[in-house]
Amino acid sequence: MNELIETALQRPNIVAFVVLLLVGLYITLTRHNLIKKLIGLYLVQTSVILFLVTVGAKSGATVPVLLDTASAVEQDAYVNPLPHVLTLTAIVVQVATLGVSLGLVSAIYRKYGSLDEDHILERTR
Amino acid sequence: MTDQIPALAFLAPFGTAICLPLVGHWRNGLCRPVAMAAVAVMAALSVAGLWGVYASGEIRYSLGGWEAPIGIEWVADKIAAIMIATICFVAGVSLVYGGVIEDRAMRGRAIPYYTMILLLIAGLAGAVYAADLFNIFVFLEVVALAGYALVGARGGRALMSAFRYLVMGALATTFYLLGLVYFYAATGALNIADLGGRVPGLLGSKAVLGGLIFIFIGLAIKMALVPLHAWLPDAYADAPDAVSPLLAGLVTKIALLVWLRIQYWAVAAESGDPAAHVFAVVSGLGIAASVGGAFLAMSQRELKRIFAYAGVSHVGLVLIGAGQANQTGLAGGLFYLANDAVMQCGLFVLAGVVAFRYQARSLDDVGRARIRNPWVLGAFVVVSLGMVGLPPTGGFFGKWYILLGALEAGNYLAVAAIVLTTLLTLAYLLRILERLFRNGGAARGSGSRSMPFALRLSLAAPPVAVIGLGICGDPIIKALLDSTSGLGL
Repeated sequence: MNELIETALQRPNIVAFVVLLLVGLYITLTRHNLIKKLIGLYLVQTSVILFLVTVGAKSGATVPVLLDTASAVEQDAYVNPLPHVLTLTAIVVQVATLGVSLGLVSAIYRKYGSLDEDHILERTR
Repeated sequence: MTDQIPALAFLAPFGTAICLPLVGHWRNGLCRPVAMAAVAVMAALSVAGLWGVYASGEIRYSLGGWEAPIGIEWVADKIAAIMIATICFVAGVSLVYGGVIEDRAMRGRAIPYYTMILLLIAGLAGAVYAADLFNIFVFLEVVALAGYALVGARGGRALMSAFRYLVMGALATTFYLLGLVYFYAATGALNIADLGGRVPGLLGSKAVLGGLIFIFIGLAIKMALVPLHAWLPDAYADAPDAVSPLLAGLVTKIALLVWLRIQYWAVAAESGDPAAHVFAVVSGLGIAASVGGAFLAMSQRELKRIFAYAGVSHVGLVLIGAGQANQTGLAGGLFYLANDAVMQCGLFVLAGVVAFRYQARSLDDVGRARIRNPWVLGAFVVVSLGMVGLPPTGGFFGKWYILLGALEAGNYLAVAAIVLTTLLTLAYLLRILERLFRNGGAARGSGSRSMPFALRLSLAAPPVAVIGLGICGDPIIKALLDSTSGLGL
């Protein structure tokens, strides 16, 4: 158990990822307010981005642009660019999802004048 | 020319979707013909692709000229070619029929409506072709975003269904992304073929296993596997009648196909003990889904909901086939997948026509409507035969091979589940049939003469395709067995 805590504390990013993911899931599943649900959803998505960035990080390395071609390529000196590209794309995808979801919520609010799930479901019956 | 087909078949709907707002702004009435032309071009390309794949083996297309492990690769093997043809068929039928059924709410909104439909089709095609986990993620999200918009298009109660679909769908793609990151962190590969070389030895690693579990949960939500299916019936029942065949026929099936690709092509079967446990879980979930979905379908009163739960149950059947870890079951499952897409499309077209012509949405309405139209009755009988799985239809051959696969694996629980699902399918379809053929009274509505040609065509096409798939079942199954032979099963 002590070992587990010790390994966890050495990786604060991973701990933050797990906490954010669980908090986000909890909010999404338990809140009845649609906007709060979306906030939870956004936390879940952001936590995965944090994890992706953590996986791609490398201390003491720089952008993968060759500084000179004379010496051999040091693999420790450069970051793998792929995780960062994936991060960017994933963020774009999330923004699109957020846009669509906010559009839906505003349409729901205009129709029912409420953001409370129970209240809306009662009125759709 | 043949090796460009994957890109062209994707670009036909995608490029048109982007240009459609311009065309629609110029002449609003052109939206539908242009969309249909795009699907027709895609269908022609898919036939050419099918022919090319059969004649000269699979097509590997490297985007931007970058070769596989570094660049993104699209693969059109026989499975992809068959699925693309199925997508074109379902999309074509839905567009032909949607033009007549078109909800009142849809009028004046032709531009966003057809743009979304084309984006959905393009996303599905991309997800079938892509051989790269991250590329698949992007296409799944394209499909999902277009799907949310289409489900909510009718407004009112549909908005709430679309919102719930969105929350579940966004969680699903996030889980998929998380699983993908685990895979990438453990192996440094995203290409499915590349992963296939690296993962088998790694399945003992917790990171890969965790990634596999997250990917499975994500895709299970997308394919509406039973404990995670709650979003589907609301979403499909409240979607506009014109698009529910498209959604029901394709969206869940493509998620299932993606899972099969990852399970069999990336995490190959030969890796012994951990893989056997994965297959046991998949098979068990398939059993629960097929029987549970069928029971839920029995308890529904609204036509579209019965059909939606029927789809949930048949996804389970495909998973049973895929979970037997042998070629027979997998080929049967893949064949059943294509069949199920066609049958779901046929059922939802029927539900739409019955609602449109006879204002009948529930079982009681159907009993009262006294439908005497031969096209409606004939189509329903043939598609039902396919759903139950009687010989001349493709449903029979798919189910037969799934059953053979289960017997080969000695999994008698799965065999019992398949038989029970068949009986339950018969039961809930008979409830509708009994009301359709109930005697007495004069015919209401109108005879076949006044049924528009487009409706007759879209009613007739799915049954013809189901029987056609049955007649051509043998070569298709052979092709599927052939393309799954290199998996080491």
